[in-house]
Amino acid sequence: MDAAFVVEVETLAAILDQLDYFQVLKLEPGATPKEIKTAYHRESRVFHPDRFLGHQDPEFRVRVLAIHKRITEAYTVLRDEPSRRQYEERISGPERERYLRWTMEETEAPAEEEIGTTEKGRKLYGAALVELEAGRLDAAERNLKMALLFEPQNPHYARKVEEVARLRKASLQAGSLSST
Amino acid sequence: MSEAVAIGIDLGTSNSCVSAVTDAPEVIPNEWGETVHASVVRFLEGGAVLVGNEAKRRMADDPRNTVSSAKRIIGRYFFSEEVKRARERMPYEIKEGPNHGVRIQVRDELLTVPEISALVLKEMKELAATHLSREVTHAVITCPAYFNDNQRQATRDAARLAGLQVLRIINEPTAAALAYGYGKGLSQKVAVYDLGGGTFDISILELGDDVFEVLSTAGDTYLGGDDFDARIVDFLVRSFHERTGLDLRQNKWCLHRLKEAAERAKIDLSDREVADVVVEQICKDPSGKVLDLRVQLSRGDFAKMVHDLAQRTFKVCDEALQSARLTAQDIDAVVLVGGSTRMPIIREGVAHYFGREPLGDIDPDHVVAVGAAIHANSLMGKEGGTVLLDVTPLPLRVATVGGFAEVVLDKNTPVPIERSKIFTTSRDGQEKVRIEVLQGESSQAKECESLGSFEFSGFRKAGRGEVEIEVVFEIDNNGIVNVTARDRETGQQANTTLHLSSGLSPQEIEEKASRIQGVRLARSEAG
Repeated sequence: MDAAFVVEVETLAAILDQLDYFQVLKLEPGATPKEIKTAYHRESRVFHPDRFLGHQDPEFRVRVLAIHKRITEAYTVLRDEPSRRQYEERISGPERERYLRWTMEETEAPAEEEIGTTEKGRKLYGAALVELEAGRLDAAERNLKMALLFEPQNPHYARKVEEVARLRKASLQAGSLSST
Repeated sequence: MSEAVAIGIDLGTSNSCVSAVTDAPEVIPNEWGETVHASVVRFLEGGAVLVGNEAKRRMADDPRNTVSSAKRIIGRYFFSEEVKRARERMPYEIKEGPNHGVRIQVRDELLTVPEISALVLKEMKELAATHLSREVTHAVITCPAYFNDNQRQATRDAARLAGLQVLRIINEPTAAALAYGYGKGLSQKVAVYDLGGGTFDISILELGDDVFEVLSTAGDTYLGGDDFDARIVDFLVRSFHERTGLDLRQNKWCLHRLKEAAERAKIDLSDREVADVVVEQICKDPSGKVLDLRVQLSRGDFAKMVHDLAQRTFKVCDEALQSARLTAQDIDAVVLVGGSTRMPIIREGVAHYFGREPLGDIDPDHVVAVGAAIHANSLMGKEGGTVLLDVTPLPLRVATVGGFAEVVLDKNTPVPIERSKIFTTSRDGQEKVRIEVLQGESSQAKECESLGSFEFSGFRKAGRGEVEIEVVFEIDNNGIVNVTARDRETGQQANTTLHLSSGLSPQEIEEKASRIQGVRLARSEAG
């Protein structure tokens, strides 16, 4: 592989976040759908990560992947007429910098499901999950039952207790079979 | 020692196949010259394992310790419909493991499904190593285009357990297209119609010289050759009942022999007009008299029995063409994949649907493995290679309030790709965000497949709504999903914990890998 290409990858990866999708695909703003597809194929031929799977420098591989992901992203947005129109509007407006990449709208939904209503309940529930992951079913069940003492109505805790009980039963059965 | 070689493996529901490129692509035979190997694993007394056609032929000797069709349940949760069905149908025992996982009980061991598949892969690996007299370390493994993330991860785990470095997981139809078009400099739109033992896939591709772009893919994970066999079994049971008043379904052993007979009849009908179905000594009547089953099945009657199954595949073809914004007339070539496409009713149906004869000179049992081998060879840097641009088959979603699932990346989006979504904190001082990631066609979270619940932590402490968390959803070249998060303002990467995933942890893979690699594969004494 020639040194010029290594430099190209490095440079392109560094400025990726400052390019709009037309620039990523090396296209003029008014490009036709056919030109967009041709550009996607052309750029993929150059930057597809499969071509560099055996490259010894992992950082180089990471950069190539980042570039190719952006090429795909650009193609995905520009090939679809409605999303292309919306994108063009956004990047020709005053907030161009913010809209160079297609990001989903901010979600109004709460980011965290409120599992518990008491600090102690939440703590015990968390501890139970840790025990469960480690396969210590007895300890998980104990923690969950304690959590239920603080919040007897909590459906999450109740459901989890049932699940753990089921798993214990299953593991007991498996144990007795494997010992025969 | 000679140079290591990369192989291509078609890990099928019913049959598997392995290929490698030495001078040209070659399908690798076993010691009996067989190139298609049943994906059947039999656990022998004393710890050795028999894999392949011999294991299938002798299935009746020890059905409880012989595992077939493991691919139907790979990467599935215990509570899933697929596992429920398998528990009803399969003679081996399926149990629940931790985190809603699946375990299979054979002899005194509980095995995960990837371990079963790993033994099939290990057999393929050893066949290749013996045949090529070389060490085999790297492989491209194929999976149905319609496989979700859990199924892909489980397939990759299986390969790792078998001691293979996975260069790529590629989609079966894409591999087939590669075998068809590699190095030909074609400029065509191609449909790959893949009817396997357990699944149906259709992919529409645009070949442009050395770039193969998948335009769309669609599938049905509940539809395959086995369903055609099941229709014949129904017919055999019915006609036997009419004649004798006896119900053969009552006995698993009878049912097994009927299934074998049904599959044989189906294959017979591929080049004959009438099949004679004979199962000697199938059961005894109440007086103790031993009865045989003898029935004739004509191609026409069979066609009627399975007409609706064939039609279902064409509904899926409609969907794929529509996604690609094409019609059947736009297709320049049709490639058939999977043993089930040998059925005349399928060949005729496909020819009628696309208005052209499917390509006749491609072996539907070999083509996927050959494509995988070609790709493996180019990934090893041996040749320039063809660029494969594939798509994700299912919408990727996040669970939202009220049990809904919002689309993050739609189906048929090209991969590799990433998309971010911004979440804001909903509580003062909130330190954690938990997001459930799903894959599926439904906007109802409970009808989609859960890929896991990701918990992100380690944010700045700030007031409600003040921290913007950017969650990045990535689908890589293997079709595998990665989710990460960072503080949008500071760029600080969050810590990620994955809950509720049925997959194997890195430690489990390491432990099980040494066990699988230590297993002795029995060689059969007769072909």
